Amino acid sequence: MNQGGNTQTVSPLDSNSIEKRYGVDGSQVQTSPYQYSTGSDGASWTTHRVDNQVAQNGNYYHPQPPVPATGNVQEIPNTSSATSGTVNVAQDYSGYTPYQTSSDPQGYSNTGYTNYYSGYQQQQPSQSYPQPVGAYQNTGAPYSSFQNPGSYAGTPSYSGTYYNPADYQTNGGYQTTNYSNQTAGGYPSTNYSNQTPTSSQGNYTSNPYQNYTPDAANTHSSAAATTPPVQYQQNYQQWPGYYSQTEVPCAPGTEKLPATSAFSQSFPVAGGVTNEMPASNGQPVTSYTQPWRQETELPQPPSQQPAAAVSASNDAYWMHQTPNQQAYYPVPPQNQYQSHLETKPLYETPFQGHQRATYPQELNSQSSIHQAPLGYRQPTQTTPSVDTQRVSKVQILTNPRIASNFPSGYTKMDKDRSAAGATQTPAYVSVSMSNPKGHTTAMPEPGTFPKSLCGFVERAFARCKDDKEKASCQASLKKIITEATNDGTINTRDWDIEPLSTVLNTDVTNTEPSSAPISSLQNKSPTRRPKSRWEPLVESKPFVKPASTFSSGVKFGGWNHHNVNNKKSSESYQKVDAVTGSKPIYSAPNSAKKSFQRPVKRQRFTGGAIDDEESSDSEKELTPYYSSAMSLASSADEKKRRDSRSKRFEKVQGHSQRNDIPKPKNANVRRGNALRLGEDFDESGSRAVEDMDWDALTVKGTCQEIEKRYLRLTSAPDPSSVRPEDVLEKALLMVQDSPKNYLYKCDQLKSIRQDLTVQRIHNHLTAKVYETHARFALEAGDLTEYNQCLSQLKIVYAEGIEGCTLEFAAYSLLYITLHSNNNRELLSSMSRLSREAKKDEAVRHAISVRAAVTSGNYVTFFRLYKTAPNMNSCLMDLYVEKMRYKAVTFMSRSCRPTIPVSYLAQVLGFACTSSEGEKETDGMEECSEWLKAHGASLIADSNGDMLLDTKASSTSLFMPEPEDAVAHGDRYLDVNDFFTRT
Amino acid sequence: MAYVSMGEAHRRITEYLNRFCDAVSDQDSLTLCRLLSFSSNSPPLLSLADALNVFQDASSLIGKSDKFSEYGEILAHLFRSLQSYRVGNLVEAYLAFDKFANAFVQEFRNWESAWALEALYVVCYEIRILAEKADKELTSNGKSPEKLKAAGSLLMKVFGVLAGKGPKRVGALYVTCQLFKTYFKLGTVNLCRSVIRSIETARIFDFEEFPTRDKVTYMYYTGRLEVFNENFPAADTKLSYALQYCDPKKERNIRMILKYLIPVKLSIGIIPKDELLQKYNLHEYINIVQALRKGDLRLLRHALQEHEDRFLRSGVYLVLEKLELQVYQRLMKKIYIIQKLSDPARAHQLKLEVIAKALRWLEIDMDLDEVECIMTILIYKNLVKGYLAHKSKVVVLSKQDPFPKLNGKPVGS
Repeated sequence: MNQGGNTQTVSPLDSNSIEKRYGVDGSQVQTSPYQYSTGSDGASWTTHRVDNQVAQNGNYYHPQPPVPATGNVQEIPNTSSATSGTVNVAQDYSGYTPYQTSSDPQGYSNTGYTNYYSGYQQQQPSQSYPQPVGAYQNTGAPYSSFQNPGSYAGTPSYSGTYYNPADYQTNGGYQTTNYSNQTAGGYPSTNYSNQTPTSSQGNYTSNPYQNYTPDAANTHSSAAATTPPVQYQQNYQQWPGYYSQTEVPCAPGTEKLPATSAFSQSFPVAGGVTNEMPASNGQPVTSYTQPWRQETELPQPPSQQPAAAVSASNDAYWMHQTPNQQAYYPVPPQNQYQSHLETKPLYETPFQGHQRATYPQELNSQSSIHQAPLGYRQPTQTTPSVDTQRVSKVQILTNPRIASNFPSGYTKMDKDRSAAGATQTPAYVSVSMSNPKGHTTAMPEPGTFPKSLCGFVERAFARCKDDKEKASCQASLKKIITEATNDGTINTRDWDIEPLSTVLNTDVTNTEPSSAPISSLQNKSPTRRPKSRWEPLVESKPFVKPASTFSSGVKFGGWNHHNVNNKKSSESYQKVDAVTGSKPIYSAPNSAKKSFQRPVKRQRFTGGAIDDEESSDSEKELTPYYSSAMSLASSADEKKRRDSRSKRFEKVQGHSQRNDIPKPKNANVRRGNALRLGEDFDESGSRAVEDMDWDALTVKGTCQEIEKRYLRLTSAPDPSSVRPEDVLEKALLMVQDSPKNYLYKCDQLKSIRQDLTVQRIHNHLTAKVYETHARFALEAGDLTEYNQCLSQLKIVYAEGIEGCTLEFAAYSLLYITLHSNNNRELLSSMSRLSREAKKDEAVRHAISVRAAVTSGNYVTFFRLYKTAPNMNSCLMDLYVEKMRYKAVTFMSRSCRPTIPVSYLAQVLGFACTSSEGEKETDGMEECSEWLKAHGASLIADSNGDMLLDTKASSTSLFMPEPEDAVAHGDRYLDVNDFFTRT
Repeated sequence: MAYVSMGEAHRRITEYLNRFCDAVSDQDSLTLCRLLSFSSNSPPLLSLADALNVFQDASSLIGKSDKFSEYGEILAHLFRSLQSYRVGNLVEAYLAFDKFANAFVQEFRNWESAWALEALYVVCYEIRILAEKADKELTSNGKSPEKLKAAGSLLMKVFGVLAGKGPKRVGALYVTCQLFKTYFKLGTVNLCRSVIRSIETARIFDFEEFPTRDKVTYMYYTGRLEVFNENFPAADTKLSYALQYCDPKKERNIRMILKYLIPVKLSIGIIPKDELLQKYNLHEYINIVQALRKGDLRLLRHALQEHEDRFLRSGVYLVLEKLELQVYQRLMKKIYIIQKLSDPARAHQLKLEVIAKALRWLEIDMDLDEVECIMTILIYKNLVKGYLAHKSKVVVLSKQDPFPKLNGKPVGS
C-alpha cells in the first residue's frame, strides 16, 4: 500500500516537471519540480535531500554548483519513496555507511547514496518503474538540449552529474582526477576518459571524423571496435567498484539489466552523435560524454533504458528535437531487426543484405538534407557499427565478476530486445563488416530507394516470425516495390504510413506483431510458453489485442504527433518500440521483486561484501524469473493491464501534450482511439489515487466474459472489466466444472472474489464462492488460501447469510485441532458449537477426530480418516504423517518383540483406499517404505513376512525432513511457479 | 426522580466540588474514593447526578472558583459522565469517564506520593465496569462492542504510570489484575504476557510486597493461564498459592480457585476429598472424581458430557478429558487385582480380550485393535509398566509396581 501510494503521489509531480521542462532551462527546471515533490512527500526525506545537496555541493561541485544540485535532486524522488515506504530498506543500506565512507575519501554523503539506491529498489517491487525512469530521463533531457547548441560549458558538468552516481561508488581518487580534468578546462579530455584520457580521447576524436567520411562505415566500425574496449573496460572497472561498495544485493539484478540495455543504447547514441558531428560543429567531446552519461545512468532501475523509449519524458525530449536523444528510438527496432538476422541466419537473404547496405548510403546522401529531423533515422544506419562496438567490448571484459554476469545479461538481452548475445558476437561483427560490401555489390538500385521505404521493408521483415513468412514477405515486398517503381510513386509514397498488412498476408501477423515475434525470441525455450497459465486465456480473448496496441499508442502519443507532423513517423517503429521498450519495463518489476528483495535479506549475513558467488547466484535465479516474466509480459492481455497501470504516471504528461500540440486530425483511427482510451484510463487512475470515495468506486460491472484472470487492482476498478452478478454465477459454475488444475481455479476464483468485492456483493453467492474456493484450496492442500476463505466465510456467516455453515464449522474445528494446536482456540470453537451442530455428521466426525488426536488414539484416527465426510479427510491428510509417526513411536516403545508390517499397514491407514486384496498389498509396500524412511528397523520372519523390530526401532525412529522442503518455507514458491501463481 | 430545585442543585454541586477539592488538598484518599465510585450507586452520588441534570451549567460553576478550576478538566468530564450514567446512556458515560480518567491519571502522575492509589484503583475499577456495561449497551444496539478494549488500553497506560520505581509501584499489581480481568473477558489472554513479564522480571520490587489481595488475584489468573498451557505443575503452584492466601471467608473466591485447582490436581494424580467438593459446591467434579477412583470410564464420559458447556467455558474440558488415561489405568489395575485373586501365577498377563470384555461391561464397545492402541498409549505414557505382545494379544505387566502412581507429576512425564 505504502509503496503504491508513494509512487502515485510522486508521479503527477514528475510529469509536472516534464511540463515545465518545455521551458528549456535545464538545471533550473530540474530542481524546481523536485522541490515541489519534496513538499508533498513529507519531511522524512526532505532532510535527506538537504543533506545531500550540502554534501555534494560542498565537496564536489564547486566548479558548477547549480548542476550538481540538479543531479542531486534527481536522486531525491527515490529517496522519498524509500524512506516513506519501508524503513527496512533504508536501514539495510545505512548499515553499510561506514564501508562507503572509508572508501570514499571525499565524504560524499552516504545517506544520499543509500537512499538513492534503496529508492529504486523500493520502487521496483511497487512497479513504479515509469516514475523513476521519468525522473532520470528528465534530467537527461535538459542536458542534451544544452549540448545541442554546442555549449561546452554545459557538457562537462552534466556528464559530471551523471557521473557522480557512479563516482561515489568508485574510489575517490578517480573522482578527483575526473574533476581536475574538468576544471583544467580540458573539455576534450572528456569526462568519461578519466583514467585513460589520452587513448580514449584520441580514439574518439578520430572516430567522428572517420565516420564523417561518407564511405567510412568500415573504418568507423573498425575504429569503434578497437576503441571501446579501453573505454568500456574502464567502465566496467567502475562498475564492480560501484556495486561492491554499494548495495550488492540489488546489483546482480541491476547490473545485468542495465548493462545490457545500456550498451545497446549508449552506443547508438555515440554513433548518432558522430553522424551528427558535422551538424553540431563536430565536437567530439559532446558526443562522447553522452555515451558516458548513459553508462552512468546504469545504476538506475534496470528498465530505465528501455523505459526511456517509452517514457513520457522522452516524448518531451522529442519536442526539443535533440538528435542525440532521438538516437534512442531507432535503436530498438534496429536491434530487433538484426537479431532476426543473427538468430536466424537464413534470414540473411541477399535482399536483406542489400537492404541494410542501403542504409549507410541513405544516411550519407540524405543526412545533409534532413539534419535534425532525421536524427532518429540516422542512428539506424550506424547501429551495425554500434553493435560491433558493443560486441567487442563484451569480449574484452576482464573483470571476472562482470564477466560472470555478462553471459546471462546477454541472454536476457536476447530475450528482451532480441539483440545479439555474446555467443552471437562473431556473426554480428561479420554482419557489420560486410555492410560496405553489400553496399557496393548487392545494390542494384542503391540510394534510389527512399529512406522511408527502407524502413518499411525493414519493418515488414521485423514482423516475420519465421522463414516462411519472411519468404512470402519478401515476395510481396518485391512486388510492391516493383509496382511503386513502375508507377513512379516509389519516391512520393509515404512508406511510413504504408500498412504492413499489404505485405504480410496473414491476419495474425497483423494483429500480433507487437507480441508474437518478440515473445518467441524472448523465450529461451518456446516450448515452455504454452505451459504458462496465461497462455490459453490470451488466445481465448482476442479482443484484448487491439487494446494493447492502443495503449502503446498512447504512450507514444507525443512522439506520434511529432512524427506525423514531420512525416517521418513509421508505425512499425512505434510499435516495435512499444514492444521492445515497454516489455522490459513491465517485466522488470517482476524480476526485481525477487532479485532485489531477496538479496537485501541476504545482505544482512554477508555484511555488504560483494562476492562473486552472490552475484552469479542471483544470476541463476534471475534468469528463469526473467524468462517467465517475459512470457507474461509478452501476452498482450497482460501488457494491456500493465500499460493501463503505468498510464497513471503519464497522465499529466499526456494532457500537456494534448494542450501544447494540436491533435493530429488525420492521425489514423487507431491512434485516436488510443488517445481516448488513454483519457479514460487517466481519469479512473487519478481518481483512485486522490480521493477514495468508496461509494463512487462501488461499480456495477458490465463485463460479460465468464473467464477472467485475477490481477490485484492497483487502481479503481473499471466497470467494463468487472462482471455483474449473473455472469459471476456462471463463472463460478464454470470453475466448478472446470477440469483444469488448481492454480487455474484459484486464479479464477480470486478474480470472482475481487469482482464481488468491488461491487460490494454480499449474499449467498459470496458465501458460495468462498465455500467453493475453500474446498478447492483444501483439496489442493493450500492452507493459506483456505484460511483466507474461511475468515471471509466467518464474516459472511456472521451476517446471517446462508451457507454450508456446519460443513465449515467441522473444517474449522479440524483445522484448529490438527494444525493450530491452540487449546484456547479449540475450547472456544468447541463451545461455540450449538446442540444442532453437534448432531451434524461432519461436525460429529470432527469432534471424534479431535478426541482421537488429543488422546493419541491412532486406531480411531485412521478409522475416522477412512470414513470422513465432505473434505474432512483433506484436512486430516495433513496430519496423517504426524499421527503415523506418533503411532509407530508408541508401538515400538510399548510392544515387544515385533509387530507385523501388515498390521501396521492396516492400522495406520496405508491400506485404506479400498478393500480389494490388491490394495492391501500395496499398502504393505507403502508402509514398509514409510517405516524405512522413518528409521524403523524391519526384519523378516520365517514366513518371509516383514516385521517391525520394536526394540531396535524405539531408538532409531526419526521424522525425516520433508523432501520438498525449501528454505523459504513455501515449497509452492518455486521459481517457475512464482509467476504462474501470483 | 425527586424534583430538585435549582438552588438545591446548585448547593449539591458546590458541596461536591468542595469535598472533592478538600479531599485532594488533604490527600484524603478514602473520601476521594467515595466521590468517584460510580458503581456503588451511593445516595450522595445519585443525588448529585440528579442535581447535575437540573443544573445544566455545572462547568461555569467550576470555572467560577480558582479552587475548583484547578481540577476543572477532571471535574467537568466527571460530571458529564455522571450525568449520562444517571440517565442510562452508558456509552456516553464511558466516553466521558474515559476522558476523566485520562485527566485524573495525568494529575496522579504529578502527585509525588502515592496517597491517591486507592482513588486510582477506584478509577481503574470503574472504567472497566463502565466499559463492560457500555459494551452490553452497544451489543444490544447491534453495534460492535469495543469499549472494553479501549478500557484495556487505558489500563495499560495506568500500568505504565505505576510500573516504574517509587512508592506508586505497589499499585501496579492491582492494575495488572484489572488488566487480566479485561483480557480474559475479551479473550485476548495473550496480551497478559507482557504484563506478567514486567511483574515477574522486576527486581526492584519483591512480589511479596504487593498487597495480598492483588497477589491472590494475580496468582489465580496466571494459574489459569498455565491451565490453558497444560503446564500442570506451574498451575498447581500458582493456584495453590492463591488458595493458601485467599481470605477463607471469601467462599466464592475459593470456589473459583478450586474450579481450576481440582482439575490440575487430578491431572497430577491427586484426588480431592468429597467433603471439599461438597463444601464449596463443586458438584460437577464429584462424578469425575468418582470415575477416577473406580476406574469407571463410562462415568467419566457421562460426567464430561453432562457438564460439557461449563467445562468448555471455564477451559478445563481438555484437562478433564485427559483424565481418561488415568481411568484406564485404574481399570487395568482392577482387572489385575481380580486376576491376582483367581490365578496369582498368571496375574501379570492381561489379555486384550479380557480388557475388551471389561470395557463392554462398561458399555464401551471396542475391538481388539482399539484396546491394543489404548494399552500401547498407557505403556508409552508410563501409566502401565510392561509390554504388549502383539502376536499373542497379551499385555505382560511388570512384576514390580505395574501401575505406578503419578505422585504429583503429570501423565507422560
